[in-house]
Amino acid sequence: MTSPLLDINGLKTHFPTSRGLVKAVDGISFSIGEGEVLGLVGESGSGKTMTGFSIIGLLDKPGRIVAGSIKLQGRELVGLSARELRGIRGKSISMVFQDPLMTLNHVLTVGTQIRLALQAHERLSAAQARKRAIDALALVRIAEPQRKVDFYPHQFSGGMRQRVAIAIALLHRPKLIIADEPTTALDVSIQAEILAEMKELVAKVGTALIWISHDLAVVSSLAQRVAVMETGRIVEIGDTHDVLTNPQHDYTKRLLNALPSRSTPGQLLARRADVRDAAPPPRQPRKAQATAIGEPFLVLDSVSKQFGKTPGLVRSAAVRAGLVEPESPVRAVDGVSLTLHRGEVLGLVGESGSGKSTLGRIAAGIVVPSSGSVRLGGAPMMSKDKAPRKITTAVQTVFQDPFSSLNGRMRIGDIIAEGPLAHGLIKPSSVGGYVAQWLAAVGLDPGFADRYPHQFSGGQRQRVAIARALAMQPDVVICDEPVASLDVSIQAQIINLLIQLRRDLDLSFIFISHDLSVVRHLCDRVAVMYRGQIIEQGRTSEIYQAPSQAYTRRLLAAVPALPAAAVSTN
Amino acid sequence: MMSRESGLYRFWNDYSRNRVAVVSVVIILVLVGLALSAPLIMPQDPYDLSHLVLRDARRPPGYVGTGGYTHWLGTDAQGRDLLSAIAYGLRISLQMGVIATGLALAIGATVGCGAAFLGGRVESLVMRIVDLQLSFPAMLLAFVIAAVLGQGKSQLILALIFAQYAYFARTAHGAAAAERRKDYIEAALSIPLSSWRVIRRHILPNALPPLIVVATVQVASAISLEATLSFLGVGLPPTAPSLGMLIANGFKYLLSGRYWISIYPGLALILVIVAINMVGDQIREQLNPRLRR
Repeated sequence: MTSPLLDINGLKTHFPTSRGLVKAVDGISFSIGEGEVLGLVGESGSGKTMTGFSIIGLLDKPGRIVAGSIKLQGRELVGLSARELRGIRGKSISMVFQDPLMTLNHVLTVGTQIRLALQAHERLSAAQARKRAIDALALVRIAEPQRKVDFYPHQFSGGMRQRVAIAIALLHRPKLIIADEPTTALDVSIQAEILAEMKELVAKVGTALIWISHDLAVVSSLAQRVAVMETGRIVEIGDTHDVLTNPQHDYTKRLLNALPSRSTPGQLLARRADVRDAAPPPRQPRKAQATAIGEPFLVLDSVSKQFGKTPGLVRSAAVRAGLVEPESPVRAVDGVSLTLHRGEVLGLVGESGSGKSTLGRIAAGIVVPSSGSVRLGGAPMMSKDKAPRKITTAVQTVFQDPFSSLNGRMRIGDIIAEGPLAHGLIKPSSVGGYVAQWLAAVGLDPGFADRYPHQFSGGQRQRVAIARALAMQPDVVICDEPVASLDVSIQAQIINLLIQLRRDLDLSFIFISHDLSVVRHLCDRVAVMYRGQIIEQGRTSEIYQAPSQAYTRRLLAAVPALPAAAVSTN
Repeated sequence: MMSRESGLYRFWNDYSRNRVAVVSVVIILVLVGLALSAPLIMPQDPYDLSHLVLRDARRPPGYVGTGGYTHWLGTDAQGRDLLSAIAYGLRISLQMGVIATGLALAIGATVGCGAAFLGGRVESLVMRIVDLQLSFPAMLLAFVIAAVLGQGKSQLILALIFAQYAYFARTAHGAAAAERRKDYIEAALSIPLSSWRVIRRHILPNALPPLIVVATVQVASAISLEATLSFLGVGLPPTAPSLGMLIANGFKYLLSGRYWISIYPGLALILVIVAINMVGDQIREQLNPRLRR
């Protein structure tokens, strides 16, 4: 075959908005052959998703293709009518999205949805459709497809749902599938399964695949060629191995160097030149610490947490009368004992649903454990009331999502100063200076104090959240996935900030993450959580080199690895 | 004065695209201005008996009375100038509506946010009471309370608050329950900040947009409730005549050709209520993230 399957030339997709023209895709050209897998990599806002939407003709108004051509087997797609595009979409080109919960219809069974997708392009009877649906589910390795075909999406797990979405995308044996971050919302072990299956499927069915992702490692395990996008342009395209081991463009190099997996644990990561790292934070007079460095500090003693609705009056009466069964509570955390030594960084890893976030919230004093106790330096963390309340300010928290963890209706100066003011750490007269010091400490302009959170990027907001936690002058900081929602280069900034703050302030951290490479980079010790229990803990290097539990081994093996590279020699 | 970036500027920018809503704001401003400045610009104080001349009673619009000025909207059975009476009536109606809604908002928001924040038994109990109250028509509740308490401004305000706070409590509860689960509330609790502070500084401001929408609509419904009660004779005393009472006064002449005594106050009432509802609709459109384009 000489002519490529898909040929894109000078494609420009623009969005006129009230704040000016947004050039989402700004003149990109690439082609892809039959059966080829191309990785499209970039950070948020780089235009990789808009490239996918442009190809499949799903651009939302007011976005439109202003220039360039998209040729599928020689047929021009730019300028086709909505009707003509519908004939192509799903049949010749199909798409898999990031979140299958959003793309599958909640009120239709999977079988019905597959039938509808089939009938969009073919005439066939219900019985035929059902058979095809079962075959499609079997193809993506869903066990008992005869039974599962009548399930609703909510009856599947996240990974299974994504398999269903892939099955629907494959129905008409399209020439090309565009997959937009399809494994980003999934756990590493499920991601590994899907990646392996995808690789096999593409080879078996013979479709070409454009795999859009922010994760270079995922792309490297799948794609033959990779294109790196930045601000609407492709800055580098080539053979995956070449690009990852010998990147030519500065942006690709920066992206690779920002990855913790590429760096020596504990070292500062490479970062964008335009972002400075934090200045050493101001020292506040603090009371003498009873606990010496290295001694047990934050001690969780066989804590458990059950979640279950407290039955209402009617229901509890009905239970007492034996009319209904009492609801069995979910044990999110099941008898966990964990010790954080003063001055150390303890990593808490596990997949979603393992209870690591709940354990973190217990350690932070946000969630009251159903049983067990939390003590800090020997003193209890919660009051002994009927409704226990957190009584220490020495443990503070940084949350995963900087977009929801800051109150959008408060200025960031007020957000940072609120806690210290309420607890008398500072006087109202010294608020301005105090806030300015902490903003500077996390590498933000002190003049930002009277702005609102929505005026900042994700990385800046996470810095504000860290400043809010540190302004309480804590001894322990619980970080719940603090970098999970951030781009690689911003993730590097935040990790660097945490490394520096730890050095300067004698802080102890509990660092909760699903990202094993970040944990390896940052943590002294690691605890592995599985189904509400800690199944293994120890020094980071030991756990990573010689995990004793099968689950830990699986978890580590599932992490996609980049080809070892001569990157650092740039 | 308003910077281009400020929220208020952007809000007005979006708001002004809806012509009807802009006209409604103008109507409300004019009527409020009329009501506030009634003693200054109206030819007659309709409740100062020394101004009233019985000879001028029940005159049609355009009649030039003994006072030497034109009664543009005619006069009522006591010889009151209807334009003046409407302006003074608006004063009282708007006053009742705004005060009662404001207090109902404060009480309802506190009850709803508090219940959502505290959760558990308190929440179930309080919200069941609110639900129970919502299952009765507001009119019926207000009527019973007003009838028990008797006539008077403060009694009527109490009746209106009682009939309306449940709407605010329900709305505040829903909004606050959604906010309660967000990370920034957990962040505030982990500092730790006191419950009262979390409710006041974090939950309440974020639960406010839907409450503002309900409040605009409820001002209109408070005014119409008050007018209805006054019309039925259980609302305001004759010494503080509102639009409802003016309508009631002219009611018996309606079929005898002297339509203006009832119709003009009625039109004024409709104008106020429709205008406020239009403004409320537009605000809801803009504050509701589901409807945002």
